Amino acid sequence: MLKLLRYPKSLLAELRIGDWLILLVSLLCVFYLFRTFWSNEQATKVQIRLGDKIYATYSINQQREIHVHGKLGDAVITINQGKARFAKSPCRNQYCIHQGWLTRAGQAAICLPNQISLELLGESKTYDSLSY
Amino acid sequence: MRKVVTFTLVTLLFILSAFGLQTYLREPLYHSQSYVFGTLVDISIYGESDDRAAQLANRVLQDFQDLHNRLHAWKPTANNQLSELGQLNAAFEQGNKPIKISTDLANILTDATQLSVKSGGLFNPAIGHLIATWGFQRDEFSAVNIDDVKIQTLVSANPRMTDIVIKGDMAYSTNKAVKLDLGGYAKGYALDKAATYLRQQHVKNALINIGGNIIALGQHGDKPWHVGIQHPRMPTAIATIDLPDGWAIGTSGDYQRYFMLNGKRYCHIIDPRSGYPAQHTQAVTVLVPPQPHAGVLSDVASKPIFIEAPENRSKAAQAFGIQDFMVIDHQSTVFVSSAISKKLHWVAPNVKVITLP
Repeated sequence: MLKLLRYPKSLLAELRIGDWLILLVSLLCVFYLFRTFWSNEQATKVQIRLGDKIYATYSINQQREIHVHGKLGDAVITINQGKARFAKSPCRNQYCIHQGWLTRAGQAAICLPNQISLELLGESKTYDSLSY
Repeated sequence: MRKVVTFTLVTLLFILSAFGLQTYLREPLYHSQSYVFGTLVDISIYGESDDRAAQLANRVLQDFQDLHNRLHAWKPTANNQLSELGQLNAAFEQGNKPIKISTDLANILTDATQLSVKSGGLFNPAIGHLIATWGFQRDEFSAVNIDDVKIQTLVSANPRMTDIVIKGDMAYSTNKAVKLDLGGYAKGYALDKAATYLRQQHVKNALINIGGNIIALGQHGDKPWHVGIQHPRMPTAIATIDLPDGWAIGTSGDYQRYFMLNGKRYCHIIDPRSGYPAQHTQAVTVLVPPQPHAGVLSDVASKPIFIEAPENRSKAAQAFGIQDFMVIDHQSTVFVSSAISKKLHWVAPNVKVITLP
């Protein structure tokens, strides 16, 4: 063992097929566990839906204004370094504007009359559907 | 040199398996979201091919659209005719001359009447005239002039579901003040129809959400379907909960259809006793165990709890056999039944929760 530490080059030479298999299996395990358990509340993307289609998905870490032509007219959505909101909407009640800034994954603002929705996505979905 | 080659090969193998695993991990989950007449319909289907899932979801949407056309309380159909419900309402207003209705509508009215009686009249789809007076039979809601005299007259006319008489395929009302508005029933009914249809098509796993009322079939892979409950004052879920096979959940809130007048909120949920919107509640969520009309109950059962005085909420829930419910009152205090308290996962920060005995 001491010899191996002193001459690292011989380390590879000492490894047998079984060792490689163990190495491979453990790397796959790490990969699988990472995929399964790595989740994070932090939003990474903004998804805009128009009618029954996904209109576009943007990174949330940017400064940007997006104009979307909805059923009633043009809505403006603002993305500002980690948060997003409806800035302008042609709908009458302006419920979507009143939702304010969305900051965490899973948060959503929906404009039913104009048929546009805004949802922040993270690494994983916090729930499958929403009761409102 | 040979070792280097082996090492490279093993690394390549690892990368390939990683890609393979990733493809394997991609879920067989289909998700669609559509707007049908101002309501959001959200359908998830697990374990079917995308093509078949899309076909099934479209069929559910079409059925909902048909139902909506027939049961709409105030909109005429495409060729400017009254909806089936509109024609019935017109006949009720004329007097007690019977008109023909479909078997479907007869069943709906019989069922809604039973539920209305069970709720002691707090769930009352016969108060369409009151709802119209408050301006909620429109697509957009703006403040109305509150006409106390008119409201009083409409309340004393006492329109009840039991005023409707159904004989075979004929119906009439013994009270001219009855005007049907199935706004608190139709979405739940559509949910049950959708669930029945998907089960007939041998779909094992699906989650259907029609305007916030959700029913679960099977589960999401190896875990139950997981749903969020809307926070009434923030653009986020207040809590999440597992929805096992056959269970349904529904929420009634004062934040979807309302207007503000002099700093006060007037929502679309009207107390039939006073004729005024309930103002002491922000939201009520009910969880309904598997039963033939779980969808209807998820829609109907939350309304009486929303309207009823705080001390009578548990009684209102019991009238429909509901054990699991959550109430958020006008001061944002959250009350949960002891049954549901064990199932909820809180998401929103600083939620003040009181568990009911």
